[in-house]
Amino acid sequence: MNASAWHMLLEGAWTTVWISGISIAIGVTAGLILALIRIARIPVVDQVLVLYISLARATPLVTLALFIFLSAPTFGINLDRNVAGILALTLNTTAFNAEIWRSAFRNFSREQREAAMANGMTPWVTFRRIMLPQMMITSLPGLINEMSFLIKGSPAIAVIGIVDLTRVTNRISAVTYEPLPPILVACVLYMAAIGCLVWLQRIAERRANRLAV
Amino acid sequence: MSNWEILWSARDQFWSGFFSTMEIFGLSISAAFLIGCGMLYLLEGSRPRLTVPLRVFIDGMRMLPFLILAYLLYYGLPAFDIRLDAWWSGVGALAVYHGCYFAEIFRGARLTFPPGQVEAAKAHGFTKGKMFFRLILPQIVMQTRPLLGNQLIYALKDTAFLVIITVQELTAAANSLAGTYFIPTEAFIVVIGFYWAVSVVMEIIIKQCGRFSAKRGFDHV
Amino acid sequence: MFEKNTSEQTAVSIRHLSKSFDGVEVLRDVDLEVREGDVVTILGSSGSGKSTLLRCINWLEQPDRGSIHIGGQRIGVNDAGRPMPVRELAKVRARTGMVFQSFNLWPHLNVLHNITEAPIHVLGKSKAEAEAHARELLEKVGMSPKADAYPNTLSGGQKQRVAIARALAMQPEVMLFDEPTSALDPELVGEVLAVIKDLSAEGYTMIVVTHEMAFSRAVSDKVVFLDKGLIIEQADPETFFTNPSTERVRKFLEREES
Repeated sequence: MNASAWHMLLEGAWTTVWISGISIAIGVTAGLILALIRIARIPVVDQVLVLYISLARATPLVTLALFIFLSAPTFGINLDRNVAGILALTLNTTAFNAEIWRSAFRNFSREQREAAMANGMTPWVTFRRIMLPQMMITSLPGLINEMSFLIKGSPAIAVIGIVDLTRVTNRISAVTYEPLPPILVACVLYMAAIGCLVWLQRIAERRANRLAV
Repeated sequence: MSNWEILWSARDQFWSGFFSTMEIFGLSISAAFLIGCGMLYLLEGSRPRLTVPLRVFIDGMRMLPFLILAYLLYYGLPAFDIRLDAWWSGVGALAVYHGCYFAEIFRGARLTFPPGQVEAAKAHGFTKGKMFFRLILPQIVMQTRPLLGNQLIYALKDTAFLVIITVQELTAAANSLAGTYFIPTEAFIVVIGFYWAVSVVMEIIIKQCGRFSAKRGFDHV
Repeated sequence: MFEKNTSEQTAVSIRHLSKSFDGVEVLRDVDLEVREGDVVTILGSSGSGKSTLLRCINWLEQPDRGSIHIGGQRIGVNDAGRPMPVRELAKVRARTGMVFQSFNLWPHLNVLHNITEAPIHVLGKSKAEAEAHARELLEKVGMSPKADAYPNTLSGGQKQRVAIARALAMQPEVMLFDEPTSALDPELVGEVLAVIKDLSAEGYTMIVVTHEMAFSRAVSDKVVFLDKGLIIEQADPETFFTNPSTERVRKFLEREES
């Protein structure tokens, strides 16, 4: 592999990182909002969300990305491929994150909520000051795990022509006629990224356990 | 003709895509299951020198995206003069990749397997192999079935990646229909419905197995 | 506040309170008056409804019938007879302070912040003011050295003393204690009871659900005995412990002594 191959590879890695990063940031936040809406149990809205979550968990990312990218123009929407990719990843990860947040909410200690109410806190203050900070700590391991899954699924966006870390290996081998080296380097980069997340997940688990004692 | 009528007239393409996906899925998860069981057996410790490399291999696989493994088999192996076509590369990658996940799931359950049962079996003169296949493995498989069910759904979703290495499966069928008739929305809605239906059916089957398992007392609660 | 109040002002007034869970009546037409500065202990065997009675006072449980007034203000139901909006309810709740059997400290906050959390975010006190007050209270319950510790590192007795300080920080008109020593190891009970005794000497109005007979006898102005949701005896501690008027209480006391 020559210098330009390395350069392309790093560019592909950067594409994977920024697209995944944006999807994660939106997905974690949107997941929390959806979880809260589900907890409020609004009729119809609740059923729609259940259906969305069930569909999102069963739909392959490749299929979802193609669906969004190809059908947007038929509705007169001109989607940039990066936006379509982010949308696909976000729609997928949000469903999983919503379930993680919701279980953190449901498992929250009733006694602690009572203590907050007994201290004159309104439900909103209780949520913001007592529940949310702890839900963040207890959900973090699950959320980080889901981030690993998102990165492992991110090559799906190659199908709509985004040159990510996986797709770029094709581009390089088209020039060098040696597909193996760039693929192996990409493997190492993926392992480094996901290895980092696994390590962070362990730290987060330790923090969560400390809270639970 | 409405878009849905066009799709109906092209139903054969959907069916062939669907059967292709199910064929790939069925074959590769069966192989993955066997690979997972085999890895668990090797991790039992009869060959201590294998244990560490095997664990490294399993953990390594779990840190890779599925598609890059498929690339490795499809584009990378020819460097060693091994040429697999897209279909076999896909099936092989799925089998190895999800085999490692199965192995990891089994390993987690094996850690909490009651040692008393193993001792009792030894005391009754079971050989290592017999003990593993008749005692340990069935219980671990039944006990881990919710996780296995989850993994099956992941494996089903991963089959769609194979469209990228040109395997003709369900998503490829939708893609080509969308291109031919310019009806992407309808084509993909149908295909997503297929994936969803298969997932739901798998979930129901896993739940039914749960009832059977509870009856047989496989779950130590 | 720190002088024993001799006026006849009513701090808590409970009228015709009834409550059932799944068709089982836990409280039956309970009437109770607590005057300012009084210490009332509620006794009774487990399942007698005494914790439910206490939890109704700050509306953690909602009674089916009857009314509760705290310092003249009705809790849970507004002037129009409708359920109180949450903000209003929170305001009335803040007039009471509650100490739970299982402490219920917030594990993500250290001791000092457990105490300042509600004063800052409910009463709107400044951080400096809340912390200064919190440190005074920690001094009072003997927990000053642990101000920066996290709840999980404390013993049960220490947790409960922090929980008492947390409730006091809201400057409540009434303190409610729900079996404050039941979850403690026997050797830790004394330190918590000592703190509660100090508070009674300072003239706090308190309602205490407890199993500690000697403690009840020492601190109470009035002892209330609950049996199957009914108040069957209400007396000053001398009369209650030496000359109870009902057979049920006499039996209860005998069993407790043995």
